[in-house]
Amino acid sequence: MDRGVQLLNDIGKLWGRYGTSYLKGIQATLTLALVATTLGCLIGFGCGLLNTIPVSKGDSPLKRFSLGLVRSIIRLYVEVFRGTPMVLQAVFFYYGLPYITGNAIKFTSIWLASIIVVSINTGAYMTESVRGGILSVNPGQTEGAKAIGMNHYQTMTSVILPQALRNIMPQIGNNFIINVKDTSVMFIIGFPDFFAAHRAATGATYLYFPSALVEMAGYLFLTLIASFLLRRLERLMDGKSSYELAARDPLVMTAGIHRHPRVSS
Amino acid sequence: MAVQIQEESLLSVCELTKSFGGNKVLKGISFDVRENDVISIIGASGSGKSTLLRCINLLERPDAGRIIYRGQDMLSRANKINLYRSRVGMVFQSFNLFSNMTVMDNCLTGQIRVLKRCREEARKRALHFLDKVGMAPYINARPRQLSGGQQQRVAIARALAMDPDLLLFDEPTSALDPEMVGEVLEVMRDLSREKITLLVVTHEMAFARDVSSEVFFMHDGKIHERGRPEALLVQPQTVEAREFLSRFMQ
Repeated sequence: MDRGVQLLNDIGKLWGRYGTSYLKGIQATLTLALVATTLGCLIGFGCGLLNTIPVSKGDSPLKRFSLGLVRSIIRLYVEVFRGTPMVLQAVFFYYGLPYITGNAIKFTSIWLASIIVVSINTGAYMTESVRGGILSVNPGQTEGAKAIGMNHYQTMTSVILPQALRNIMPQIGNNFIINVKDTSVMFIIGFPDFFAAHRAATGATYLYFPSALVEMAGYLFLTLIASFLLRRLERLMDGKSSYELAARDPLVMTAGIHRHPRVSS
Repeated sequence: MAVQIQEESLLSVCELTKSFGGNKVLKGISFDVRENDVISIIGASGSGKSTLLRCINLLERPDAGRIIYRGQDMLSRANKINLYRSRVGMVFQSFNLFSNMTVMDNCLTGQIRVLKRCREEARKRALHFLDKVGMAPYINARPRQLSGGQQQRVAIARALAMDPDLLLFDEPTSALDPEMVGEVLEVMRDLSREKITLLVVTHEMAFARDVSSEVFFMHDGKIHERGRPEALLVQPQTVEAREFLSRFMQ
């Protein structure tokens, strides 16, 4: 009982002194996770699309060579960024660029550096997910589109990508949740996120466990909300489970009326 | 000066061959399609019927031969493939409706994106054909909410809305439950009475008999026998056609 009271007291003390820095940390964490997941998805879609451009025997050698080159580069990118820890990638870029260029290029903003590192990291994972998402769309869908004369670009944008996006929504959600948590490693270059607030608070108060409890609850709260919203979004993308019958309008063609009124329900 | 009036073919297929690996599926197919022809293609599974249709709209690239559409060889003009495909409609065994779209959007997309029609015009055309196949009330439904027969009727409307010169049917009723075959065949019968050019791969012999202007019997990658439906279907000349048809007459 005493320990419980003690814990509540400590948490109260922490919150009183560092409440705003916790909240600011949460804000920074969420912003970084959102921006980097979005950018990472764009990178993933770009690379995934390049990886699924069909090559046929009839194509020119130049097209085949350049596509092959692009694919090798993407392969390398994916393997390197998926195969090394993000915490090291952050150090690598943040300190590496000024080191190699003799301070000619350096990050003036920790935000920019963090966004870049988390985005390319997410992009590496998303590239594979997008490729899988595109390949998992029934080939009949592509044939249906080709059969009405759509080119590769039209087929992709109207038919395949919307379905691929729906297919990989769970992975996008996964990546977002991972990013909410894993952006905490950006403390290594001094990014002021939720976890950085913990380091600041405990550095001064030594209340490691109470602060960790606050952090655990905070992260869990964020990820639970994110899961909930993602589920909602997925259901929204599935569309309505029922549909309204349109009223039969005999005047549709003869009188040239092509507005089709719905049955009011 | 004698003026020769020659009925020009819409589509001429010359010596078409196609193999998958070492398996020769089409072994030199030649025929002409004139406007308003309704040609049924019959034959056993594996005789190359579907491959032939898929080669005609270039979903499969033939190994050799020519496909002359309105005087132009489609196999030598790679850049025109999409334009050509938009003029040749295809109805698949498995419907292939776009599952991310409503019935209406399925019928609009091609018209707007490929034919560059304005939305109003496209909607008008789509409704006209959806009404024709009896699916106008379902414009807000998504493909997965419809029965197979309904999906196939929408697929027919989607193809018709592109105003194709030629419509290919690849066993349109084979994937349907028996009680839904009738509604699709009914739509196709109605179609065949209009000014339209059809090439139909089918196992529905009664349909082939009633609507075709010509029937091709395919066997072993070739058009083995061809003729008017009342001749070929009733008194086939070749042993293979007789054997094949006898299985349907029991």
